[in-house]
Amino acid sequence: MISTLRGLLALALVALSVSTAAGADKIRVVTTIPDLKALTEEVGGKLVDVDALARGTQNAHELEIRPSLMLKLRRADILIENGLDLDSWADVAVQGANNPNIVRGAPGRIDVSRGVQVLEVPSTRVDRSMGDVHPLGNPHYSLDPGTAPIVTQNIVDALARVAPDRRAELERNRQSFLARLDEAMTRWTRAMEPLKGAKVVVYHPQWIYLLNRFGLVQAATLEDRPGIPASPAHVTRIIRQMRDEQIKVLIVEPWNDLKLANRVAQEAGAKAVVLAPLVGGVKGADSYIGAIDHNVNALVTAMK
Amino acid sequence: MRALALTVIALSTILAPAIAAAQDAAELRRQIEQLQRQLQSVTERLQRLEAQPAPPAAQPVPPAPGVPAPAPGAAVAPPPSSTLSAADLAQPRQPFSLYQQRGSGHLLFDIGIAGDFVGNITQRNVERAGGGTFAGQENRFFPREVELSFFGQVDPYASAVVRIEAGEEERGQETAVNLAEAYLTLLTLPFGTQARLGQMRNRFGYSNEIHEHDLQWIDRPNVMRNFLGPEGLQEKGMELTLVPDLPFYIEALAGIFNGDNETAFGRGTLQHPLVTGRLRTFFELGLEHGLQLGMSVASGQTDDRNRSTILGWEWRYKYRPDGWLHPLITLTGEALYSMRKADVGVDLDGDGAIDQVDKRQRNHSGWYTGLEIQPFRRWAGGVRYDWSQYPVNPGWEWAIEPYVTFWPSEFLRFRLAWKHTDRSTQTRDAFNLNGASARNVDELLFQASFILGAHPAHPF
Repeated sequence: MISTLRGLLALALVALSVSTAAGADKIRVVTTIPDLKALTEEVGGKLVDVDALARGTQNAHELEIRPSLMLKLRRADILIENGLDLDSWADVAVQGANNPNIVRGAPGRIDVSRGVQVLEVPSTRVDRSMGDVHPLGNPHYSLDPGTAPIVTQNIVDALARVAPDRRAELERNRQSFLARLDEAMTRWTRAMEPLKGAKVVVYHPQWIYLLNRFGLVQAATLEDRPGIPASPAHVTRIIRQMRDEQIKVLIVEPWNDLKLANRVAQEAGAKAVVLAPLVGGVKGADSYIGAIDHNVNALVTAMK
Repeated sequence: MRALALTVIALSTILAPAIAAAQDAAELRRQIEQLQRQLQSVTERLQRLEAQPAPPAAQPVPPAPGVPAPAPGAAVAPPPSSTLSAADLAQPRQPFSLYQQRGSGHLLFDIGIAGDFVGNITQRNVERAGGGTFAGQENRFFPREVELSFFGQVDPYASAVVRIEAGEEERGQETAVNLAEAYLTLLTLPFGTQARLGQMRNRFGYSNEIHEHDLQWIDRPNVMRNFLGPEGLQEKGMELTLVPDLPFYIEALAGIFNGDNETAFGRGTLQHPLVTGRLRTFFELGLEHGLQLGMSVASGQTDDRNRSTILGWEWRYKYRPDGWLHPLITLTGEALYSMRKADVGVDLDGDGAIDQVDKRQRNHSGWYTGLEIQPFRRWAGGVRYDWSQYPVNPGWEWAIEPYVTFWPSEFLRFRLAWKHTDRSTQTRDAFNLNGASARNVDELLFQASFILGAHPAHPF
């Protein structure tokens, strides 16, 4: 019995030393969503070791809090949150991680929505009769590449708190990324120019930042209200509206009911287009620029 | 020929201004339409801005700790509605702030209400014998638990939870209001530790920690009610958890409590405390499968000063296809093994009177397992099987409970179940109030639950 216990202890110590050595010199960052992971990797480069709690194919509103998330958080120096109540589930995972670096209020807990111009902030009294509304405004700002300068600035500030002597390098990485984003933005703007003013229907109201960026108009949502499945009457109304207003595209997230979206689009003479709500949400959207590329190309192709 | 040329010149002279005018008109129309669109966009933006509450006062900008951040790529256009200049963006900012997103009018903690109403229909003899799942509340619909929760950060080092619950405990009685939980959690202890102090639902096994309205079933499993009482293990004391820095997840827990639980312990003093422990681990089997395993122990004294120790084992498996908003398959189970000494009166001379009290060892056990299938986001169906002895008394019971759950939304739930319970003949001395018997029980159970306000995410 004693020898078994001794063996287990030795195994644990070996595992501990291996895991500690693996990323000893890097800042260990965990982000709640993969978009922030992609941006942190761009900014942090070789200085960081980044992991994300949610995958691109998961709806970040409703993440299942597995103990494996707590394991990721256990050794984190920094937890980067999207904020605006999109990822408030992170609190439960943090509570199970026993890591004082990232508890609420600690220097390692970063909400990168700070400074972002938040859209759809409710201006009237809100309650859940309106569905699953976000009282602080629409949290899906990472879909707009125009917010990347602010978000990456927040990330640089966060990383520089842990490694103040590396701020210059982080800034260089950020500038290099923003230059590439700038080139891509020119390309995207040119591609989307002919679509300005075009109306689209969205399954869930999370695309407003992307639509605003490129001048598209959100005409309706297929969900009755956010998070509330569409009633047959609502579906009929949407189909009629799409026909009347000659709306050609219905944007749908990979986790929502693609069958329903296809049926509605078909009856309205439109196309249902699956966009990447997060990096990794669809095949090919493996980086931040790649995800926006995918979304722009998919919209341009569908609206031809 | 000359006349033809003159005619062409004349026509050109007349028509050229008209064509130019037509082109001008088209151009003007286009420009007007463009202006209208711009005006509409500006009007909408103005309306949005006017409707927004005044922004909170700007926080002081700390001095640049290092090299000042240069402005972001100039050609990257700011958001259409952004009011930030490039110079604003270049300013280093404080990257964190406690509740900085919450504007005026927001409290610094969350408030939520969970309402849980249950009902049951069963046989008349079961009602008379008080042998239903909700003993004493047979053939009734009642508020089992209406819970008011406050939770949030106390300061940078601790969070706190306070839960006050009201419920109808006995038929026809006034609704009782109790302090269900009130504890603080010390979050910044060293070496991967965390401490919880106060009154709490003990983290003993899987289901004990879960509140009634969050359970996967309408009722607590029989084995948990038989060995830990209808409310489960709720104690006053302290729990310490350790999550070691290992490549795999393991959580170790040790607790010390008064031991107030009358069903399992009851001594109620720190001189002879209830001591608890738990080890919990988790295996992520690919992206879609998760398996949580744990074992627990609780050891204390009963109110007649006998040692009582309960061992528990738990398992929970979920299969959630990638991209699904809910699990397709959930398998849950727990087993308890109770070892306790009990005072037994012995009639030595056969005169019917107890001559001495002996201490007898009672080692009894029970378990349950449940399977739930959720093919649709709003609908789930499942079945739970229970088998349990009683902590001290002889006999055993088994039960089967198929159920169906419907969620109109995340915050509203209805559940319907049928439960059949079969008790062994040795239980004839129990469940027999008012001359009735409740050995075979059939119950139709129903439940309506709602959540108002904040509710923390559910753990695995």
